[in-house]
Amino acid sequence: MSELRTEEFIVNMGPHHPSTHGVCRLMLTMDGEKVVNIVPVIGYLHRSMEKMCENRTYAQCIPLSDRFEYVTAMSCNQVFSMAAERLAGIEVPERAEYLRVIMLELNRIASHLIFYGVTAMDLGALTPFLYGLREREAIIDLFEMTCGQRLTYNYIRIGGVSRDIPPQFVPQCRQTVKTIGDKLSDYEGLLNENPIWLERTKEIGYLSPGLAIAYGVSGPVARASGIDYDIRRDDPYSVYDRFDFNIPVRTGGDCYDRYLLRLDEIKESLKIISQALDGLPDGPVMAKVSPNFKPPAGEVYARVENSRGEMGVYMQADGSKKPVRVKMRGGSFNQLQALPAFGTGVLIADIVAIFATLDIIMPEVDR
Amino acid sequence: MKKLYSHIKNLLLGMGITGKHLGRHAITIQYPEQKWTMPERSRGIVVLLSDKETGELNCTGCMLCMRACPTAAIQIDAPRGEDKKRTLKKFTVDNTLCCFCGLCEEACNFSAIKMATKYEFSVLDKNELIWDMHKLQEMGRDVDYIDTRKKKTVPVTEPKPAVEAPAPVENPVNQAGSDDAEDADDRQEPPAPAENKSNDKGNEG
Amino acid sequence: MTWTIAFGELHGIFTWLHGLLVDTGLGQPWLNIVVYGALGGMVFGVLCLLALFLVWWERKISAHIQQRFGPMRHGWHGWYQTVADAVKLLQKEDILVTTRDRVVFFWAPVICFVAAFLAYVCIPFGDGLIVADLNIGILYIMAVTTFTVISLLMAGWGSNNKYALLGGMRSAAQIVSYEVPMVASILVIVIFVGSLSMVDIVKAQSGLVFNWFIFRVPFGPIAFVTYIIAGTAEANRTPFDIPEAEQELVAGYNVEYSGMKFAMFFLAEFINLFTVSAIATTLFLGGWNGPILPSWLWFLGKTLLVVLLLMLFRWTYPRLRVDQLMEFAWKFLVPVTFANLILGAWFKYAGWYW
Repeated sequence: MSELRTEEFIVNMGPHHPSTHGVCRLMLTMDGEKVVNIVPVIGYLHRSMEKMCENRTYAQCIPLSDRFEYVTAMSCNQVFSMAAERLAGIEVPERAEYLRVIMLELNRIASHLIFYGVTAMDLGALTPFLYGLREREAIIDLFEMTCGQRLTYNYIRIGGVSRDIPPQFVPQCRQTVKTIGDKLSDYEGLLNENPIWLERTKEIGYLSPGLAIAYGVSGPVARASGIDYDIRRDDPYSVYDRFDFNIPVRTGGDCYDRYLLRLDEIKESLKIISQALDGLPDGPVMAKVSPNFKPPAGEVYARVENSRGEMGVYMQADGSKKPVRVKMRGGSFNQLQALPAFGTGVLIADIVAIFATLDIIMPEVDR
Repeated sequence: MKKLYSHIKNLLLGMGITGKHLGRHAITIQYPEQKWTMPERSRGIVVLLSDKETGELNCTGCMLCMRACPTAAIQIDAPRGEDKKRTLKKFTVDNTLCCFCGLCEEACNFSAIKMATKYEFSVLDKNELIWDMHKLQEMGRDVDYIDTRKKKTVPVTEPKPAVEAPAPVENPVNQAGSDDAEDADDRQEPPAPAENKSNDKGNEG
Repeated sequence: MTWTIAFGELHGIFTWLHGLLVDTGLGQPWLNIVVYGALGGMVFGVLCLLALFLVWWERKISAHIQQRFGPMRHGWHGWYQTVADAVKLLQKEDILVTTRDRVVFFWAPVICFVAAFLAYVCIPFGDGLIVADLNIGILYIMAVTTFTVISLLMAGWGSNNKYALLGGMRSAAQIVSYEVPMVASILVIVIFVGSLSMVDIVKAQSGLVFNWFIFRVPFGPIAFVTYIIAGTAEANRTPFDIPEAEQELVAGYNVEYSGMKFAMFFLAEFINLFTVSAIATTLFLGGWNGPILPSWLWFLGKTLLVVLLLMLFRWTYPRLRVDQLMEFAWKFLVPVTFANLILGAWFKYAGWYW
């Protein structure tokens, strides 16, 4: 009897799918139950942001940068403002720097809470999503109290921050920090040692450090594979060098470690926020920036440590009030690019787990 | 066997956490019967503010907000008359373009435009979201604001109040001014120095 | 316990109805048909109401676990939300894929729905409240609940959709695999009672609370736990709900169904859930036994408690992957239940039970 002929077939995990975070199409080549190849098809969320930046003044680009990666909009504002400040040589007042750090870290916690909820939901546990969002509401209330918006803040501006915090911010922020710290034990108890969770995430989707470096993967995904690199410590910006915090690193490289690492990062961010609140100096929150902001001609690349990795902005100015070229770099792009290299040889259910723990946000990929 | 015991213990721990929540009161509110009080800095729709005594629009037609808007949602037609003063003929805000960034509010020197905390304005026809001057003024009538315009009646010899607070309330970098020489003459009042502005960290006109 | 609140007892209804129908003077084969038909119809009516209640309860429980309210608009705390949903589903267009296999596509939800209800012929809702006390009660129930496998395969095949077919096959494999530990858990109890009849099983647990089979260590709790796990898998609930999970790529067997056909699958799932809980109550928790309150109230309360347990499972745990699910059934549950069976048989033989 001749051998049974098998053929590979292509399954489309389409742009509309409950598990792809945003509109991402994955074309999976399957051999039976195993995935042999993944081809991500992107561009469904392309909004030509980089081109739009060329038609707007620097100040008008800031609300646009919010939409670059709306889950961590503060980081986007920060990186853009940093780039413009470096071009023009503006020094940001100290109070503004501390406020920036507080907002950035609060946003990092909010983003990781979303990650926690969405990953659990993708793998079937529907309740942690609601718990994560409940804590995130506390953070977003702080943001709304300060700048007026819940998602696209337009708060960190060129030269500082747009407004000073209201008087009830500090006590409420301390209360939020305390609440989140307490609730973390709930989250961990629900999933960390759960045998079903361990079955679904341990030993799944191993990303080797060499592969991570080759694809330029950064952020929690790289740190979970053992690469000890964090821009806040290794290339410090703002006033991060004044705070005492650890950079958690794990060597497992599988889904479980990526998940645990982000929970560790929440704890470290809480520490940074407490220290920043303690050391918040008085002073102005905005430097003297000319109304007609025209940085001298030049180019700069500014980068921050986003919840998804290195977020960078390359900006080229020619002395006019609008930038000549703005190139935005997001961490999710590299991680999506690396997915076919390490995400094959598993079942479809594992693809869902791997994709969830990479924490890819499509607007960052497509811009 | 030990592994089995720890598995069972962790499964029960998970159930304990969700079960514990069964006894807690829900934290959501029933909209629309109960509504959340929006924080005062909350950025809702754009409204035009009127003078508290006379009821006329504060807007002078300087078009700073139009230049500040990143999405060109504000369209103003305020031609200059013979006496070099502008009359406001048309002021439209296209709410379908507005991205609620608040740059227009920060650009205005005359407490004329504000992002109110209102957020309920769904309509069935998209054209009803393009608001003209009258609608904007009507929506802004019940919005409380702090008038930061320089009062013309205040005599110059009056000592100005001492300043101790930081931060000018407006962000000058967001007034995306053009290179037009005409617009340099445009301003009827020079940009008011920080002392005359309200020093509240929170409230803004 | 004989000192119950007498007016709450309902078995009078059955005897009254039976007497009424006998009095009509019908001949023998017709009398049986009419009597059992009427009783069955009553149970069917009660179950439909129960299904509606269970859907509402699931939504409320899940909402309160997540610290939100759930349905609140239709009636007090949304009690007739399910009715509104059913009316809505009735109005939906019945989308029929042109390339479907007509007969199979049509009959799959019917068989699923009917199979779900067939089990209730033998389940005692209270003292004397059973449609037919078959002397092979539990065996009949096990046989009938397996009909759902056929309907799942039919649904998968009839949709003419490779993903639905895959989903249907996975679901069928899952149910068939978990039948084995389920039956083995039940067999332990049957060994102790010595009879397959449901009424005998409940009567064997009368008396003190410690007579309930769940308390008869060591085989009782183990059998209960394995039965609950196998029952959750039978009812296609998380953590075993691969067939109906949206997040997996393979969308499940009911993806091509819309409107009332979908409602049939949906209601049948909740009826299955209640069946699993009712059997757990009858076999392990003492059935209708209990002091003071009427027996049907005890039965309902205990069953709803087990249903609450299964709902907590769903809203707490992530789902297992298909191969992990099968591995769990065959490599863990089957050996454990068989060992338990041998243990139970040994206890019975040695007379070490009370």
